[in-house]
Amino acid sequence: MSVVAQLESDVLDPQLELAELTEQARGDGAIVAFIGLARPETTRGDAVDAVVLEHHPTMTRQSLEDIAVACGQRFDVSHVRVVHRYGTIPAGEPIVFAGAASIHRRAAFDAADYLMDRLKTEAVFWKREVGEAGSSWIEPTEADLADRDRWG
Amino acid sequence: MKVLFYGRLADAIGRDIEIEAGGASSVAELRRRVAASHPDAADALGRSRAVIASAMVGDEHVIAAADQVEFLPPVSGG
Repeated sequence: MSVVAQLESDVLDPQLELAELTEQARGDGAIVAFIGLARPETTRGDAVDAVVLEHHPTMTRQSLEDIAVACGQRFDVSHVRVVHRYGTIPAGEPIVFAGAASIHRRAAFDAADYLMDRLKTEAVFWKREVGEAGSSWIEPTEADLADRDRWG
Repeated sequence: MKVLFYGRLADAIGRDIEIEAGGASSVAELRRRVAASHPDAADALGRSRAVIASAMVGDEHVIAAADQVEFLPPVSGG
């Protein structure tokens, strides 16, 4: 089982990440990949120019790794790959790639779902949306927390 | 002693401030001192975790003179 957990400042190319995961997954039967994008609107409908993710110099990378490793231990997967950006991310651009490969599809679906539920609530980032309504800090919603709690 | 802040705390207080090391012996005391000088950040500070050397510490933790304390507000997630 292999685990990749990366923090990137500038570019996240989901196709490249998927290609690398596919290369690693020879012999597996399934790959599930999730790509999170910077939304162009707030939940209230105001236009967003960019999402700014502030990170911690050591704890952010560690949180990505902890979540990816826990995923690899929990599900019957061969490879787990998490790549997360920080800094200023223009609306529409990818923020996160979360993928898993496995012999049978269910483990890869569950692993990707688990990765995102934990990343959305526990990854060490402080996030704000910047746009027509100014700048506002974002914290996990009740729905985000409920999604994470499904995994116990 | 250097104290660092992140997220909305950095907005309200600044990225870092210098505090006289002799004046704050525990994390709780440091929290009180910072909140007193930045009342608009008191609420966020109360909900923040204190970290020394990348490890979380409780309010009872005694701060050494050479420590750098960081206050991390609740994370947003990715």
